[in-house]
Amino acid sequence: MITGTGITKTFKQRGSVLGAREVRALRGVDFAVEAGGAVSFIGESGCGKTTLGRIIAGLETYDSGEIVIDGVPMSGLGHRRRQPYFRRIQLIHQDPYSALNPTRTIHQTLEAPLALRAKQTGRPRSWVDARATELLSLVGIDPGYVLPRYPHQLSGGMRQRVVIARALTMDPEVLVADEAVSMIDVSLRLGILALLKDLRVRLGVGVLFITHDIATARYIGDDSELYVLYRGQVVERGPTETIITRPVHPYTQSLLSATPVLHGLELPGAERVVPTEALDPGGSDEGCLFAPRCPFATQLCVERRPTLSHDGTTLQEHACLHPRVRSVIPVDAVNRAEPGTEQRTGTEADTGARG
Amino acid sequence: MSPDPTAPTSHAHSAPGVRVRGLTVVYKTPMGELPAVSNVDLTLAPGTITGVVGESGSGKSTLALCLLNAVQPPGRIAAGSVEIDGLGDVVELGGEELRRARGRHVGYVFQAAQNSLNPLKTIGKQLLDLGRSHGVADLRALVRDAKDLLARMGMDGARVLDSYQHELSGGMRQRVGIMLALVLNARVVVLDEPTTALDMITQATILRIVREVHDERGLTTLVITHDVGAVAEVADDLAVMYGGRVVEHGPVKEVLGDPRHPYTQGLIRAIPRLSGDIGEARALPGRPPTLGTLPAAGCVFRERCDRRMDVCDTVEPVALTRDGRTVACHAAAEDADRRLTAARRKEFA
Ligand SMILES: Nc1ncnc2c1ncn2[C@@H]1O[C@H](COP(=O)(O)OP(=O)(O)O)[C@@H](O)[C@H]1O
Ligand SMILES: Nc1ncnc2c1ncn2[C@@H]1O[C@H](COP(=O)(O)OP(=O)(O)O)[C@@H](O)[C@H]1O
Ligand code: SF4
Ligand code: SF4
Ligand SMILES: [Mg+2]
Ligand SMILES: [Mg+2]
Repeated sequence: MITGTGITKTFKQRGSVLGAREVRALRGVDFAVEAGGAVSFIGESGCGKTTLGRIIAGLETYDSGEIVIDGVPMSGLGHRRRQPYFRRIQLIHQDPYSALNPTRTIHQTLEAPLALRAKQTGRPRSWVDARATELLSLVGIDPGYVLPRYPHQLSGGMRQRVVIARALTMDPEVLVADEAVSMIDVSLRLGILALLKDLRVRLGVGVLFITHDIATARYIGDDSELYVLYRGQVVERGPTETIITRPVHPYTQSLLSATPVLHGLELPGAERVVPTEALDPGGSDEGCLFAPRCPFATQLCVERRPTLSHDGTTLQEHACLHPRVRSVIPVDAVNRAEPGTEQRTGTEADTGARG
Repeated sequence: MSPDPTAPTSHAHSAPGVRVRGLTVVYKTPMGELPAVSNVDLTLAPGTITGVVGESGSGKSTLALCLLNAVQPPGRIAAGSVEIDGLGDVVELGGEELRRARGRHVGYVFQAAQNSLNPLKTIGKQLLDLGRSHGVADLRALVRDAKDLLARMGMDGARVLDSYQHELSGGMRQRVGIMLALVLNARVVVLDEPTTALDMITQATILRIVREVHDERGLTTLVITHDVGAVAEVADDLAVMYGGRVVEHGPVKEVLGDPRHPYTQGLIRAIPRLSGDIGEARALPGRPPTLGTLPAAGCVFRERCDRRMDVCDTVEPVALTRDGRTVACHAAAEDADRRLTAARRKEFA
């Protein structure tokens, strides 16, 4: 179990067109990932997702807040004594092409961390090769084919599986997958997502899944939790399926509305939300952070910063002064066309609940 | 000859049509010359947006480069033609003629345009270079047009032209790429993976801009992507590529709503979606072929096909067009025959 409370991080940027400025990448983020659990963070580029992932993996410092790993607060430990804890959290990068050393075979890539692991745990050398084979099978690739090859000889999907296998050499409790499927062909994404879901069940590994594509978050398990991050603040949080079918925050609704509609297969949601302007990560810090782009902003929104909380009417928590469920996601065109086949509990059912 | 390139606006009826016929492109490899594009026929109707989808390595970028006759060694166009209205067969063009056609007739936004700008020069400087290399006499007018286009796409033109690539976000660079492709008044525009690596909101913005500029300027547009979603909303027609072949082509709504080629069906089933049954979605089994693993005879998709028949091992399916839908598959051809017979029977009953 790993929890974070009030994590903040500010970057000072130099040399931009606008001169030096501060970017508040994280503004007091709370989260919890349980063994075998799954948590997704979604948001546009620049909202702080990668920064959070790197902090959780111990690769980036934070300004304030507390991270607790297996009951041990990290703030009480020096840099060296934190390392064994952070090693239980392994980061999987977005880019399977640059994540692997091109001059090493897959065998060499897996051998180094496994040899270290064998030493740490007092296992014999022979365990290393057996474990490499076992891990590659676990991630769904043929060890005989992959072990002698170099990364450039493998497809993007295979490479990402190798990267996951390498992360598993450390027997992690939590995998942080930062845009782990974004650079892989769409045709192969579900395979990697199914693998992550499978690892949760089979190894009890927790998954912290970072993505800008909300749809992918549905596929890492129907018990997963969704966190919507906007300019370093969590603005909506709750069960993934609830937030996708009944989003209340206009930012979440914007993200969902931006997911393309597969015309012919789907009909667009009736109330799609489009932000009024582009994201400015260093924009105004007054009131609601989304107010400059929110089509529903009122004077109150400019004056007051809403905080993440339950309002008693929805399952999820949100940070919006005017929450309202909107039907923004596509509706199945086929089900819509045939009355009487409305088995979905999604958007259609929501129509009556809109306030 | 071509329509007046200085005309600021015009309408869809004057947009050029593009007809690719029997196109084959080969790359020299240690195993000899192998085809990345095989005997492709593809028509882009004037004024439409066509999306070309397919997995990495299916030949999309190679096909797109042929619209500019820009395939580089070790590749070459081995057969076929690319007829563009007002320009003729691009495959036959060379030298100065071809250089002028690029940019003036056909605008191209390269794959990863986000990183293809020169990091050492401001955008404005690169614009002037482009103008000079095409012998544009009135560079001031060119800058004005560029600013108008950038403003049209929601950006401060003057500021963007003064910027270096690294000062712009991914979405801004992509818009700069579109501006550079359009500023010489090209009427055929090719966008290779225009939204890959952009987040969803930025992608939606870019696609909306592509559609609007396309309509306003009366363009014929080709959008290439591995992500069906990235064209589903913007394209009129969809062409699906596999192993260097166009295996299915038709109106986007019909292809997505009623896919006929087993590959198209698998590709659509593999899309992570916001609606629909999670359990029904699955990744396409197996992996895409490479030049070296493409079978020489029979259907190139058969290793991954759930409807494979004996004939598929030996005879390559030809592309058949019925009711505006083109499909190259033995099983789909049987389905079509069955539908036809059933329809006839109904008629006579
Ligand atoms: N090392 C850094 N130096 C300065 N600014 C940074 C650094 N890393 C990230 N940022 C800024 O912090 C914000 C959040 O970035 P990031 O965590 O990468 O977001 P995301 O992964 O959601 O795209 C952005 O505005 C980004 O420019
Ligand atoms: N310069 C090249 N030399 C050799 N093979 C190439 C070259 N460029 C592309 N290919 C091969 O041609 C095929 C099609 O490539 P490409 O057109 O880039 O496909 P896509 O854009 O669909 O990913 C691939 O198998 C690729 O490996
Ligand atoms: S608080 Fe106001 S500005 Fe912020 S998201 Fe809600 S409605 Fe929009
Ligand atoms: S031709 Fe045969 S193998 Fe190829 S897609 Fe059709 S049924 Fe499948
Ligand atoms: Mg990131
Ligand atoms: Mg390509």
